[in-house]
Amino acid sequence: MVRVAVVGAGYSGFNANSPDLSWKEITYEAAVRAYEDAGINPRRDIDAVVTCAEDFWEGFAIFDEFCPDQLGGVLKPTFTVTADFLFGLANGVMLIKSGLAEIAVVEAHSKASDILTFGNVVKFAYDPVWLRPVGRGHPFYLAALEKSYYSNLRGYCDYTYAEVVAKNRKNGRLNPDAPYSADLTADDVLSSEPLFYPLRKLEIAERSDGAVVFVLAKGDIARELNPEPVWIDGVGWNSETSNYDTMSFTAVYAMKAAEMAYDMAGIENPAKEIDVAEVDDRFAYKEVQHIEALKLAKAGEVDELLESGYFGRKGEIPVNVSGGSLSVGNLLEATGAQKALEIVLQLRGEAGRRQVDAEIGVAQVWRYLPTATGAVAVFSR
Amino acid sequence: MVFNEKITNPAELRHVQGRIELYWIYTSGEAGDVFFKKLRDEGKFTASKCRKCGHVFFPPRIYCEFDFSETEYMEISGEGCVLAFSVISYDSDGNRLEKPEIYALIGMDGTDGKIIHLLGEIEPENIETGMKVVPVLKPKDQREGKITDILYFKPVS
Ligand SMILES: [Zn+2]
Repeated sequence: MVRVAVVGAGYSGFNANSPDLSWKEITYEAAVRAYEDAGINPRRDIDAVVTCAEDFWEGFAIFDEFCPDQLGGVLKPTFTVTADFLFGLANGVMLIKSGLAEIAVVEAHSKASDILTFGNVVKFAYDPVWLRPVGRGHPFYLAALEKSYYSNLRGYCDYTYAEVVAKNRKNGRLNPDAPYSADLTADDVLSSEPLFYPLRKLEIAERSDGAVVFVLAKGDIARELNPEPVWIDGVGWNSETSNYDTMSFTAVYAMKAAEMAYDMAGIENPAKEIDVAEVDDRFAYKEVQHIEALKLAKAGEVDELLESGYFGRKGEIPVNVSGGSLSVGNLLEATGAQKALEIVLQLRGEAGRRQVDAEIGVAQVWRYLPTATGAVAVFSR
Repeated sequence: MVFNEKITNPAELRHVQGRIELYWIYTSGEAGDVFFKKLRDEGKFTASKCRKCGHVFFPPRIYCEFDFSETEYMEISGEGCVLAFSVISYDSDGNRLEKPEIYALIGMDGTDGKIIHLLGEIEPENIETGMKVVPVLKPKDQREGKITDILYFKPVS
């Protein structure tokens, strides 16, 4: 069986804004670092390039035409996945496993600070006949409704989500690339105004800029480049439906994606086998949903485990030790890239002061509002 | 160059501002047409039932997403109960709304479906999940066959 490894990882950011560089230059920075990390010359060595983007986040159409050059991918097979980085990573794995490429590059970025009308771009993803014309409220209402529905179903109270915020914002203090890290307590969160009741502003990840580039290689080549590469043992992705009337509101998309990835990775008991997890926490309640979906805890039991420190930096299964999106920021389609990057750094022992002891890690992402779509990747060293 | 000659004076930084002004028509589709015409002309609600598994869809559609078979239309009351609600203080541009809007996820009676719409004639502190609500429509002569023909849902008095 062909194995696929991450032999190079580079990033630029993550910052609340980046007015000095264009999105292409940010990507170029990340790419240069990734190729240096992998010890390859992209013009000579890479066989394929996968980029991940959504035209509306970029502000122009046919995004894929804009991407070969800053990645060293001119005159190479290139395509764009209209989804998060983890979907691109899955495509990179397929390229290599199928034999179409031996070295493949996967890229995602965010220049969220360029978007002047973020709320309207998000709303543009809402069903134009049935949903978008309803009211004038900020599209975060959909997350607020989901939070409310899910909390009632599980019996979780707001204190649980406030603890997620406090944990992740504090974790970010040990991550030099986490612009929204803060020394917050759960009480600080609970006493902030619920601008999108029952969602508080502090429960929502702010936007940030950055780019991530991974170099993937086929097993034997990976070992030549790096005697101890990080292996991609499993990838999975899933979409529930586009209809709000049949969505689970319990992140079934993440559970199915995780089952696919775990199956490929041969993981039978995730709660015992996974050492570290980075999950989508762009709304605090999403972290709780995703912990359940990844089977790191049973449904309805996340609150007690959180309170006991089980998911803390020094806990049994550290979740979002990078600070998560709540500290690093919402990186749009690069959100899963930051999560995968953190797992790779942790498995390499390159996570600095936030280093945890881990051999197997999982990264998970959701495709943001208004979707019930997500992807998962399992890594090991 | 990128790594050692960055622009350090923010006043020198340039950008251009742009906007996209684009227009579409969004077709309601066959099921949408049935629903919105009936709503406009008769003030009545339509759902659709899967011929195979019996799942009753609201909003109505012509196919079942579970077994991929066809559906048939059925009339429903348009009433429902609040499954979740949110009180939104800002508009899409991030400006504070004069009066917060209350969005609700409403389970539609006689269906397996839901609608997301506004609640009215009630203050947020008086809303409870499970609460029974009924639709308030625009007067017939002002209805256009759009989702906004429903002004909001209000509690049963
Ligand atoms: Zn059916």
